[in-house]
Amino acid sequence: MIWFASLAFLAGVLVSLSRQINGRLALSTSAMESAFWNHLVGLGFVTVAALLFGGLFAGTPTAAPWWAYLGGPIGVIFIAAGSWLIARIGAAQTAMLIIAGQMISGVVLDIIMGAPGNPWARCMGVALILAGMWVGQGQKR
Amino acid sequence: MTNDAPPARTYHFAAAFGAGALLTLMVLCNGTLAQFGSLFFASWVPHLTGTVAALLILLLLRPKRAAKARPPLWAYLGGVSGGVTVMLTSATMNTVLALSGTIALGLAGQVVFSLIADMRGLFGLPQRTPLGRDYMALALILAGSLILIFFGGRP
Repeated sequence: MIWFASLAFLAGVLVSLSRQINGRLALSTSAMESAFWNHLVGLGFVTVAALLFGGLFAGTPTAAPWWAYLGGPIGVIFIAAGSWLIARIGAAQTAMLIIAGQMISGVVLDIIMGAPGNPWARCMGVALILAGMWVGQGQKR
Repeated sequence: MTNDAPPARTYHFAAAFGAGALLTLMVLCNGTLAQFGSLFFASWVPHLTGTVAALLILLLLRPKRAAKARPPLWAYLGGVSGGVTVMLTSATMNTVLALSGTIALGLAGQVVFSLIADMRGLFGLPQRTPLGRDYMALALILAGSLILIFFGGRP
């Protein structure tokens, strides 16, 4: 349990590490170039891993809806935005606001798609996140 | 000379929040792919299409390089760290932690490491000391996220 928990924690560390490395690259190049290298290097890495372990085309990938294939271009904008932001508002603020945006849009999407959930917990969670964003926004540096 | 442009912070704020919303859409797309194909496929396709999309945008916009000096070689390796993340989360998702535990611990990992990086100015990025308000904001956002993760979703 502790072992899996530390792996999940490590995954979060790696997300933030990746954003910082890409942000450093963007300092010398541009946010879009950092997004390009992030995806190209990641592609090489996943390709090698898939070749080692096999089963890349297992299942029925052609049956997936067409929009499921749009994750890549969306990811490019996401990585470029992160690289651009981290040099301007810092790693913690960037992470915090991305988390807030992710959680609130997740709730909205769940409601649109009619996923079951507890409306009270949703309101409470969104309210706390909005309060946190308001507190974080009000400061001068 | 007067500067009556809105403070840059508001703009950054909206961009970061919007990036979070893009992340949700990306997770939805890639997760849907994983329902039909393998986990490798669900990570391989977005990296492939993302590379092509980024290349097209670069060719169209031709953004100027910010500095003449070459970036250090390790700065090109952000994609590896991202690639390992996908494998780790795919692995822990299928344990007792499930998706909610994986997401919650992942948020904690991001926040803790980001704070340390900011305080130390790691990886050649500007150093900044978090203020009391930052910790307050952080605590509220994390508390709200944890409630959504453990109580707001599918029962």
